[in-house]
Amino acid sequence: MDVFEAIRNRRSIRQYKPDPVDDKTVEKVLEAAHWAPSWGNQQCWRFVVVRDPKIKSEIADTLNKVTIDNELVENAAASSIRQAPVLIVFCAEKGKAGYSVDGTPLNDKGEYWYMFDIALAVQNLTLAAHALGLGTVIVGGFNVSEVEKILDVPGGCTVVTMTPLGVPDQKGQVSPRKQLSEVIIKDKFS
Amino acid sequence: MDLFEALKGRRSIRRYRTDPVDDKQIEAILETGRWAPSWANTQCWRFIVIRDANVKAQLAETMMTVKLPDREIPNPALNAMSTAPVVIAVCAEMGKSGVKHGTGDTSIEYATDKGDWFMFDIALAVENMLLAAYGQGLGTVIIGAFDAPKAEKILNVPKCYRIVTFFPVGVPELPGKAPPRKELSEIVIKDKFS
Repeated sequence: MDVFEAIRNRRSIRQYKPDPVDDKTVEKVLEAAHWAPSWGNQQCWRFVVVRDPKIKSEIADTLNKVTIDNELVENAAASSIRQAPVLIVFCAEKGKAGYSVDGTPLNDKGEYWYMFDIALAVQNLTLAAHALGLGTVIVGGFNVSEVEKILDVPGGCTVVTMTPLGVPDQKGQVSPRKQLSEVIIKDKFS
Repeated sequence: MDLFEALKGRRSIRRYRTDPVDDKQIEAILETGRWAPSWANTQCWRFIVIRDANVKAQLAETMMTVKLPDREIPNPALNAMSTAPVVIAVCAEMGKSGVKHGTGDTSIEYATDKGDWFMFDIALAVENMLLAAYGQGLGTVIIGAFDAPKAEKILNVPKCYRIVTFFPVGVPELPGKAPPRKELSEIVIKDKFS
């Protein structure tokens, strides 16, 4: 698939078929993520590939509820995680991206530059998945410490985000985007 | 260009030709930034397209030196700021990404321990733009080590925004080298850490 086509047509998918996704395909999307650039080539990302339905379900339970019409309901992505055969959880090794060799943050964003590097890898993965006919949806609203407990995440690492990976059971909705003119500035803010 | 070819072939480019890059090519890059996903579709990104040589030079001055064990050297991408015809700076509107569902109108409450997710959403857009540049034969390199408050002053960035990164866009003088990657087995964990 053409790179521009992949970027333009990738959608967040919240409904999945139970169809299996084989290890080779999972490896392909992880390879794509791993080819992302990173701060000082630190590659602070760690990918947890969860296939165990019990673990997936436990993680789905940690997602933040959302309020719709004054009612607290489950996040749509919770059922996505249960439906899709694979869940990929992105962890970051802290103190690498954004840090100088002496172990201190290099600038005002050094401490959370890992969020940036993880996202570079995540975006590669969502595009690769789309080109292979698979859906993803980036999930950020969950109880991090609970997920870290479920996955036995070692100290020094933190869970950043996760996505189900599976065959879409829907087309995915196009979220309207701001016009380019609303987000572009020439040379400097006036 | 095929997506996988772009994913694998894109390199960080630190040496550029002075060849021009036209507005259409830049717009194609920015379009892909705009199509990145974002927290609750908040699209906190703003893209500053810098062609003014003076502004590019001022921004280059904010770049930090690289500390080696025995000496300090300028950032190897420093010259790229003057040779590449365009620099794209990416700013984030604060208090949008990562905000808890149902809050944000009068007071902001963040949904996770990560606070504002601006760094994450900006990077989603940046990665798209790097791929789109490469898909058109153009090079880029992400600059993160710079004096952000100084850069914000140079670019007149309003208080509600923060500058996250900037990257030159131009015709590569040399193909970049692929820095070695860890083996997948070093970074992939099955089901849970043991």
